[in-house]
Amino acid sequence: MVKSITTQEFNSMDKTGISVLDFNATWCGPCKMLAPVLEELSEEMAADAKFYSVDTDENPDLAKEYGIMNIPAVVVLKDGQKVDMNVGFVPKEALKDFVSKNL
Amino acid sequence: MERFDIAIIGTGPAGLEAALTAKVRNKSVLLLGSKESSDKVSKAHTIQNYLGLPDVKGDEMAKAFLNHVTSMGIEITEDKVNAVYSMGQYFAIQGHNADYEASSVIVAAGMSAMKPFPGEMENLGRGVSYCATCDAALYKGRTAIILAYSAEDEPEAEFLAERAEKVYYIPQYEYAGSLGGNIEVLTDVKPKSIERTEDKSVLITEGDSVSADGIFILRQQIAPSQLVPGLIMDGNHVQVDRSMATNIKGLFACGDITGTPYQYIKAAGEGNVAALSAVAYLQANKNN
Repeated sequence: MVKSITTQEFNSMDKTGISVLDFNATWCGPCKMLAPVLEELSEEMAADAKFYSVDTDENPDLAKEYGIMNIPAVVVLKDGQKVDMNVGFVPKEALKDFVSKNL
Repeated sequence: MERFDIAIIGTGPAGLEAALTAKVRNKSVLLLGSKESSDKVSKAHTIQNYLGLPDVKGDEMAKAFLNHVTSMGIEITEDKVNAVYSMGQYFAIQGHNADYEASSVIVAAGMSAMKPFPGEMENLGRGVSYCATCDAALYKGRTAIILAYSAEDEPEAEFLAERAEKVYYIPQYEYAGSLGGNIEVLTDVKPKSIERTEDKSVLITEGDSVSADGIFILRQQIAPSQLVPGLIMDGNHVQVDRSMATNIKGLFACGDITGTPYQYIKAAGEGNVAALSAVAYLQANKNN
């Protein structure tokens, strides 16, 4: 499952382990296409990582904090530290490889 | 939404032949492109090595091609494709006029002369982007440069300007618009390259430069790797194997987009192979 979170929720949540943050916006076409792909991936990788969705329009501070210039952007966090980022739509297999190599 | 068996992008010899073959194999076909075939065909002077059509003029060849597909009951949907998304079990195709779905896709979009600026690909996603509406939210209180190639890009500039502090609009076409407010239109600017400093994107122009938080390049032509996100390229061409398969399952490419020689009969031949491979892919998926 991909959980939608706000900046506040993000700041107070437990970030132990691997978290995958999907930065998006409602009017962004490629973001909309990426959402179901991430949803599927989150089921497949449920044991490995937690998946979150961040609406950049409503949470600009979080986007700024992670240096997001273009969306969709998928950020991988290890114990709360940013370890990698992928910008733009990617097919599921490529996204899986991207998350897996950062486990 | 109707899900076609095979969507074919491009109406040059590769796309048209792929459509014929797919139709012969009884697949539902969505053929996207132009009802005039391709300029590269219709504007050619004479072609001397196309089997069965000796010394044919380009426009006659286009007519012969189009007559053939029409006689087979294949329709051409006039649309320009902006993006093809691999969704796993199917493909979502975003057109200029409409959105489509297909179980497999054949890209026969030809080669464009488009060359990225030095520094463009290196900074993609790090302050260089092709979708201003996508990223508008991130530009609250920031500045942006839009490099525009058509008057159709003007609404995109206005949308971005609603959020951004300032937008530099640099038209690469005959500008006759009325953009104003916090949009500064810079005409007669020739871009040369793009550089990224610590936190700014800099457009180097002939004898000058413009700097902002981000640069948007809104070209009319789209590079294949932008058209199909995730597609692996071999230089300027799409990487394919002998079955015309790309690295994305269910997506095939044929014609000039796969590489030289840029010959009509080679394109048509590859279109035939791509369609048969797509048919085999659909069959294999059905059996699973």
